[in-house]
Amino acid sequence: MYSKKRLFRAFLFLSLVGLLFVWSLRGHSQTSARVDAEALLKRSDTYRNGWPSYVVRVKITDYELGKSDEEHLYEVSQKGTDKTYVEFMSPREKGRHLLMLVDDMWVYLPDTSRPVRITPLERLTGDASNGDVARTNYAADYSPVYLRTEMAGDIECQVLELTAKRKGATYQRILYWLRAEDARPVKAEFYLTSGKHIKSATFDDYGTFGGRLLLRRLTLYDEIRHNSHSVLEYSGAVPRALPDKLFYQGRADRF
Amino acid sequence: MNRLVIIPVLFALASVSAYAQAGSSAESSAFETRYAVQVIDDATFYANLREPLPATLNQVLLEPSFSMHYLDRLSFSTSLIGVAATYSDTSTQLRVKETYGGLSAGDFDFTAGRKMLRWGTGYAFTAAGVLDPPRNPTDPSDRLNLNEGRDMIKTDWVHGPHAISAAWSTAALAPSQSNLHDTTAFRYNVLVRGFDTSLIAGDDRGADAFGGFTFTRVVGQAWELHGEAMWRQQAAVLAGAKYIFSNITLVGEFYTPPNTTYYRDPGVSPQAGRQHYMFLSAGKDRLRERPGWKEWGVSGSLVANLNDRSYTTVVDVNRWFGNHFDAYVHFAAPAGGRNAEYGSAPYSAATSAGVSFHL
Repeated sequence: MYSKKRLFRAFLFLSLVGLLFVWSLRGHSQTSARVDAEALLKRSDTYRNGWPSYVVRVKITDYELGKSDEEHLYEVSQKGTDKTYVEFMSPREKGRHLLMLVDDMWVYLPDTSRPVRITPLERLTGDASNGDVARTNYAADYSPVYLRTEMAGDIECQVLELTAKRKGATYQRILYWLRAEDARPVKAEFYLTSGKHIKSATFDDYGTFGGRLLLRRLTLYDEIRHNSHSVLEYSGAVPRALPDKLFYQGRADRF
Repeated sequence: MNRLVIIPVLFALASVSAYAQAGSSAESSAFETRYAVQVIDDATFYANLREPLPATLNQVLLEPSFSMHYLDRLSFSTSLIGVAATYSDTSTQLRVKETYGGLSAGDFDFTAGRKMLRWGTGYAFTAAGVLDPPRNPTDPSDRLNLNEGRDMIKTDWVHGPHAISAAWSTAALAPSQSNLHDTTAFRYNVLVRGFDTSLIAGDDRGADAFGGFTFTRVVGQAWELHGEAMWRQQAAVLAGAKYIFSNITLVGEFYTPPNTTYYRDPGVSPQAGRQHYMFLSAGKDRLRERPGWKEWGVSGSLVANLNDRSYTTVVDVNRWFGNHFDAYVHFAAPAGGRNAEYGSAPYSAATSAGVSFHL
């Protein structure tokens, strides 16, 4: 009888120890997953932002019903994670500039009498929005959570759920597929605060610029109007020392 | 004749522009250049003229621009406007919109020449834009780009979010009928907690000293607020907001200037007292939601003088054809008493139609 009691107590004790061990392992694995998610996101950002200060050309071709109907050319100057200056180069937009400082955005139109302050909603117009061009450091804007590992086509991917750290972020939620092998972005889904799935993206091609492997082509699909998409082609990415005053919102003598 | 001259000029500029565009890449180089050319043919038809004036004004405008930067240190920029107008007779005019040189040294920028400054935050009106081009509330975007800058020397000190500007502008080269004086002006601009705020002060030689402030602030996802206040003999105040709704941009402004020589509109009597204005606008840049309509843009606005209850209704429609051509219609219909600010226009409606070429 005594030995049965001792055996039962030992069983309870071992069960408790086992539960604590499993719980601690689970907690540990969750912590490491969180750390991994942040590290993964930071690593994935390096495929879109090769240097702390750089310049890159972006050509956007809009397609409607499968046919290309518009082309836009931009020169993007980025410094750090929160300063972006975009010069519009295509004939119908020449003279326009866009400046983004953290969550504040201005557009300089040659035909208005002042710099125009842009609201977060205005960042979303078009298949490729201002935010898609000017805001590519997701680790600075979003908190990642590792969801699962799954195949995207024939590529094994780790799926992250990104939640906006601030209301001023371009999107409120992003589902982000990163190649398990090297954290290279593969595809993404973008959601508004309302939960509406507004856009999807595929990261189609990578190339070497200045010794760095960087994104070369991205396709954005409009999930509201399913008959249109935009292809963003990146070229000429080079590191460049950019003066702080390039990112001063009151500067009028821009190109 | 003027159009015959424009065509070879256009081709010459196109060749130069193509060469410049090919040469300017994102790769770092000592010289960077930019070219742009716009050609506009604009015809305005006046309906129900009350005075013996021609009913049609035709204008052809050639607007080349060129900018050059050397090592982010030296810069030169010029923007010219050639206008050939046919109204009661035919006239041609060359205007210098901007031509200035710049030197950048550390946190300092120095500028000399004719330059457009935009210190005011108002869209249709401005109280504090002491060196800005004039605002025309019935054409706030200056659709023919006819505004010219002020002749000035200017120094800017920019450090982080802070900037201090000092400008001295001469009126010596201003048109004789203008009300401009030599102006000395200072501005402190800072972005703090989302407020883009400026303090402005200065003096018009032989006229008034002035001081005031401007601000813009984005609130939430869809609102932008802006305002200006300036004291120059009396207070002038502007308050405005922009709201985005279903990709439609709504702008509203209220403006109250004193009836002083500086602020008075030519259509307002000196005895009329302080004036109050309202501007309302709704526009959609591209009708993307309708298949096949994304090249179209539509906007409508109303400018009203709340004192004499006169107003002008404005409708703009434009359409792009490819990347280089667009066509537009601009319709303005003034209404109100014969002695009222907007009602005194000598026509019941002005309809402008035109095409423009962009390079």
